Amino acid sequence: MNLDFGVLADKWQYLLGGAYYTLLFTFVSALFGFALGTILSLFKISGIAPLRWFATAYTSVFRGTPLLLQLAIIYYATPQLLNYKISPLLAAGLAFGLNSAAYLSETIRAGIMAVDRGQREAAIALGIPYRMMMKDIILPQAFKNILPAIVNECIALLKESSLVSVIGVADLMRRANIVSADTFRFFEPLIFVGAIYYVLVLLLTALANRLERRLRRSD
Amino acid sequence: MTDAVNGTDNGSVRGAENGRNGGLKSGPDPGAKGGLPDGAAGGTTAAGAGRAAVGGADAMIRVENLQKSFGRLEVLKGITTGIARGEVVAVIGPSGSGKSTFLRCLNRLEEPTGGKVWIDGLDITDKKTDITAVRQRIGMVFQHFHLFPHMTVLDNICYAPVKVKGWTREKAEAKAMELLARVGLADKAREYPSKLSGGQKQRAAIARSLAMEPEIMLFDEPTSALDPEMVKEVLEVIRGLAHTGITMVIVTHEMKFAREASDTVYFLDQGLLLEKSPPAKFFSSPETERARQFLDKVL
Repeated sequence: MNLDFGVLADKWQYLLGGAYYTLLFTFVSALFGFALGTILSLFKISGIAPLRWFATAYTSVFRGTPLLLQLAIIYYATPQLLNYKISPLLAAGLAFGLNSAAYLSETIRAGIMAVDRGQREAAIALGIPYRMMMKDIILPQAFKNILPAIVNECIALLKESSLVSVIGVADLMRRANIVSADTFRFFEPLIFVGAIYYVLVLLLTALANRLERRLRRSD
Repeated sequence: MTDAVNGTDNGSVRGAENGRNGGLKSGPDPGAKGGLPDGAAGGTTAAGAGRAAVGGADAMIRVENLQKSFGRLEVLKGITTGIARGEVVAVIGPSGSGKSTFLRCLNRLEEPTGGKVWIDGLDITDKKTDITAVRQRIGMVFQHFHLFPHMTVLDNICYAPVKVKGWTREKAEAKAMELLARVGLADKAREYPSKLSGGQKQRAAIARSLAMEPEIMLFDEPTSALDPEMVKEVLEVIRGLAHTGITMVIVTHEMKFAREASDTVYFLDQGLLLEKSPPAKFFSSPETERARQFLDKVL
């Protein structure tokens, strides 16, 4: 057995530092994906047909092609097309956010549909305009219902974020590869960042459980 | 309580306090000539319902040849009537007769497929009418309450007055507390709806509607989802609202309540308004065979 975590003695801080990028990136893309996903879900239930078509086509394309491909297109093709050098972090946030929005829009739509029809009728009967009804009455109940699915999506984002290592963002995965290349040892750095990913997911889950308990206050 | 004939008398007295003032702002009613209600005339049957009426130009709700189909199912087959300011109408009939659909067409929760509905002279079937503004003047109480579960009782009541009418939070809360006291729920203001019993939920829902200071209240089987022992507390609250100037339309299966609290009973069957009479007359000597059969079953 050739295993020696001692080789990480002067590397572990560097590896741990990757967690900052992993988290930053997960946070940015989750937020962006959630906002865009909400807008898309509202398009999907809208009475205006072109909005529905757009949202449906959007979901179809972003769900129907690999994420890694989308990332590559945004990172490598944008400079060619727009003559603008996009930063890896921005490209990755954009790709993951756009992709995540496609999935979340379906989840949020399901959440909206699951809110009792009577809630909508009560709001309409009170003369509450559509926008306010959605913002204050329907969406809060929808989000509460789909919180577990949103947490799943965030966890998936956190782990998939390891894909950004291919465009050079110094996240956990990339740093593990760099350390491996430096020390010619693979097992130790990979296991080490694996543990960090796992702890991050546990933290995220704990956070979500607390949020869920707070939202269940009214039950 | 209210017997048939003085139902109309009360109407004009109440109108003086409340309704008639409102009547001034209603302006010329495009169709005020026909179809006005007349509680005392009563007993007009199907086709001519409402046409026989005389009355003043004071119809709060006017319905002309109202039709509603769901696909090929014709639920309302042409209803014409008028409801006076302050009038209390009980709508009864067998299930599937179109009672609830009729009610839901009055605030366009259901889109009529034919005919017209005027609320205080405004044609709400006209797409140009600001229906949201009209709905703010019409309260609605549902069979299943539909309180907003993520808000406290107080927030349920204050939401629309603050967000829609632009009241200050203080004013809305004062109004809410006054209404909660009136429906006997002052101690439940900070509770979430899930903590309330069915009867309490329905009373809170009534308070929520009243907070908008509606001129019309629509009740869609307000006690049908309640345990028997909670029916009374809700009916008492509704009865307390009757004859305070609010125009009320109540779809109900509570015959005793309909008899005691309403000025006019509407009997609907198979999408038609078959009978429209003062309760004393309707329950003692209904005109149509269908109504007689129905009363035999439910009384």
